[in-house]
Amino acid sequence: MPRVYASSVIDAPAARVWEKIRDFNALPRWHPRIRESRIENGEPSDKVGCVRDFRLQNGDRLREKLLGLSDYDMFCTYAILESPMPLTDYIATLRLTPISDGDRTFIEWTAEFDCAAEVAADLVDGIGSGVFQAGFDALKRQMAG
Amino acid sequence: MVRIVESTILDAPVEAVWAVLRDFNGHDKWHPAVADSHIERGYASDKIGCVRRFHLADGSELREQLLTLSDADMAFSYCLMETPVPLLNYVAHVRLAPVTDGDRTFWHWQCRFDTPTGRETELRDMVANNIYRAGFDAVREHMGLPAARQGGRP
Repeated sequence: MPRVYASSVIDAPAARVWEKIRDFNALPRWHPRIRESRIENGEPSDKVGCVRDFRLQNGDRLREKLLGLSDYDMFCTYAILESPMPLTDYIATLRLTPISDGDRTFIEWTAEFDCAAEVAADLVDGIGSGVFQAGFDALKRQMAG
Repeated sequence: MVRIVESTILDAPVEAVWAVLRDFNGHDKWHPAVADSHIERGYASDKIGCVRRFHLADGSELREQLLTLSDADMAFSYCLMETPVPLLNYVAHVRLAPVTDGDRTFWHWQCRFDTPTGRETELRDMVANNIYRAGFDAVREHMGLPAARQGGRP
């Protein structure tokens, strides 16, 4: 089962970063690859089980279901229900941990999924750099200053 | 119950930091508080259950037992068995994680312990400053890394 792991340091307190990312419907407000998002059935975006239906800048559509959300541990876990990517059983977790030295944030994003062996390397690279690291870079820019 | 959580970023690959930290008997090589250390009964320092007996610079003796060690998670935990200061039921967890953005290391060190009423703040500060934060700085120095940033964000 291919696994993606990316992590970074954001120069802002974890509570501030969490405020920005805890909203499961907020991707267009911080992730540059996401154009628009909505939560299906008018549910609140912190209701575990809710589904976000969103579009990338290139028009691709994805649906993802919120599996877990913890304000105490500052993580969110979700699964892909529909996407244009050739993969199945995709589950990802985005997690923050405070760095006490300097009051910064350690951010980790992991994913596991199934796919055909010949596309695994491309998917791991694409998700790791195009989605996870691109999100970190955007957060670092937005949280600076 | 007192809890301490300290964490930092080291400007070195996680494998290199783990190579230093995973030796349960290696702390006298880098931690300024530890004068000498040995593992009792000739056990290997990565044998779960082994006990390190060590002396601080002031001569006091401590014994700590290795409870868990995981190369897969780059983590270990240990408890204090004997100490001249009242740190009771002391259990600590050390864990490293790679910072893939820049090939650095996240180092998380936490513990909990009981202590007589009235001494919580004193002992929390002692452990957090003299053991954990001093340990972060000492490993940086041991590995020849740049000194820690001071204070908060600029």
